[in-house]
Amino acid sequence: MTQLSWGRRYLMCPPEHFGVLYEINPWMHKEVAVDRDRALSQWESLVAALRAAGADVELQEPHPDVPDLVFTANAGIVNDRQFVPSRFKHPERQGETPFDIEWFEAHGYEVDELPLGVSHEGAGDALPFGSVLVSGYRFRSDAASHAYLSKITGAAVRSVELVDERLYHLDLTFCPLDERRAIIAPMGWDAYGRKVMEALVAEPLVLDDDEALAFCANSVVVGTNIVMPSCPRRVGRQLEAWGFSVATCDVSEFLKAGGGCRCLTLALDVSLG
Amino acid sequence: MPSEVIEVEGHIIDSLILPKVLDVIVGLGADYEMLEVKIGKTNLDISRARLEVRTADEASLAELLAQLQVHGANPVETDDAEVVTADRDGVLPPGFYSTTNLPTAVRIDGRWHDAENPEMDCGLAILGDGRIRTVPMHRVRAGDRIVVGRDGVRVAAPERPRGSSPFEFMNSDVSSEKPKGVLVADVANRIREAKERGVRVLAVCGPAVIHTGAGPGIATLVREGWVDLLFAGNGFATHDIESNVMGTSLGVSVLEGHPTEHGHSNHLRVINEVRRYGSITAAVEGGYIDGGVMFECVQREVPFVLGGSVRDDGPLPDVYTDVVEAADAMRYLLPGVGVALMLASTLHAIATGNLLPAGVETYCVDINQAVVTKLADRGSHQALGIVTDVGLFVEGLCQHLCPTPPS
Repeated sequence: MTQLSWGRRYLMCPPEHFGVLYEINPWMHKEVAVDRDRALSQWESLVAALRAAGADVELQEPHPDVPDLVFTANAGIVNDRQFVPSRFKHPERQGETPFDIEWFEAHGYEVDELPLGVSHEGAGDALPFGSVLVSGYRFRSDAASHAYLSKITGAAVRSVELVDERLYHLDLTFCPLDERRAIIAPMGWDAYGRKVMEALVAEPLVLDDDEALAFCANSVVVGTNIVMPSCPRRVGRQLEAWGFSVATCDVSEFLKAGGGCRCLTLALDVSLG
Repeated sequence: MPSEVIEVEGHIIDSLILPKVLDVIVGLGADYEMLEVKIGKTNLDISRARLEVRTADEASLAELLAQLQVHGANPVETDDAEVVTADRDGVLPPGFYSTTNLPTAVRIDGRWHDAENPEMDCGLAILGDGRIRTVPMHRVRAGDRIVVGRDGVRVAAPERPRGSSPFEFMNSDVSSEKPKGVLVADVANRIREAKERGVRVLAVCGPAVIHTGAGPGIATLVREGWVDLLFAGNGFATHDIESNVMGTSLGVSVLEGHPTEHGHSNHLRVINEVRRYGSITAAVEGGYIDGGVMFECVQREVPFVLGGSVRDDGPLPDVYTDVVEAADAMRYLLPGVGVALMLASTLHAIATGNLLPAGVETYCVDINQAVVTKLADRGSHQALGIVTDVGLFVEGLCQHLCPTPPS
């Protein structure tokens, strides 16, 4: 098997200001308090797990006005030294973008923006697989953004319609493992999207509904190591049979906001096209 | 039927977005017409599709557009048409939109309105009640609201008769090497179908129709109700009357084919007598004209327009000597015409072609291929040319359409 060519360098943001301050997905409930100390220790465990798996982690400064900045996966799309910042659907998260642009400009990336009027939520809704970029749409990203994304990055985009609001981002339904394999949650896709993904993924690990809703697909793959928010035995056995080492990392505080391990990371070593 | 042009682009083939969009359209009971599809050459290239969607009513269109938008298919961004008020009679504003003869729609306040009377080489006027009409230059009045520029104007692609059309097999617009008998039968069928649909048949005739002996055939077609409207010039009407009153056409005996003595002045004497009556109708009612095409037109109340030209003798009292008035008279009679037969006429065929919407089935019959080609070159692309002798053509048409042989 050919390992993923990306996934060894991540951007993360400490959860110093993290909390559920608004509700923009079915998992968020303002009345559920986040234990910030616990969140911080979970996040530090995740950083440690990724580093143990062989990944480098770079840090972004947190900011009190934008609690979800911790979910760096939604900052944008990285393509070599190019950064395409997200255009968030919800005003609650739109304040994150200037901080994201600031970080990438400061680190020497060329920033290319999507046109106004379309929304796309970055790597949360776009993951490279094989020679294409799979991108979800409906709840957060617009289908119309995909053509722009393709024009800006040069990537061939496969659009997949998301149909289950609980799996509102692509990275809750799809986790590339290597060049041929991926964890997939077809319950999150419409019939056309399932066909597209069936044609694309030669060896899928298909999650059942409970596994998908436990955010199994929201995992981080570092070579042959996988860091998962949870791993049912059936899934773990299959992954190990394929030669992966699985580590689980409790991110329950972040699940209160609808995010898992992948949501807390943004791969910086992606090269599209 | 409300419609909108939408565009979707991206990797819409590999992502199955295009089939999904089409399924959404069909699933909602709407129709679509693919206007343009550009498919990327490699899987890296993006593809683009532009299609027109049509629904039964505005509410379904709004619902359809909302559903399509989810999949990235958005209405092609179009602005409203720019409208300028004409500042003097008979003059269009600078930059006016110059029309084609194709179905045309204009966008005003975000909604598309069809032009009522497609006609080439006109302006587009927006009437007080929001209706759109094509307006020839000379009919513009100061204060008329005229469309300028190309924004907000949409022209439908021309359509050829489809399905079992007998003309499907003809891939050239002009046929000089096709079996004439088959073509005549096909035209006869098209006329029969048109009459069944309730549309009117227009005949545009040149003087050669009479010279070649096809006059009685046309007269029969008029008498039998196959021709609803006649456009011609002074020459056609004169020679038709001459052949019936004097037995000659331009002095040549129509039965024997040789010049008659002093025959060259026959047509002048005929014109003179009709002028004495005051009109062709009066000459028919007074018994001077008792047969022929013009006679049958008067008898059957088939309207005719005779347009004059600078070389006309006389002319006959019915002839419009003001060409602008002649064209207006033709315009006035055109609504409802579905088939036009252009028979051995250059001047009047082109004049009529200029006025006809592209949807009118037009058959141009002439012995000279250049005439047939010329009509298409002047923008009447819907015209189907048949290169043959008009006398033989009309005779064949009569055999198909009229149970009794031409008298």
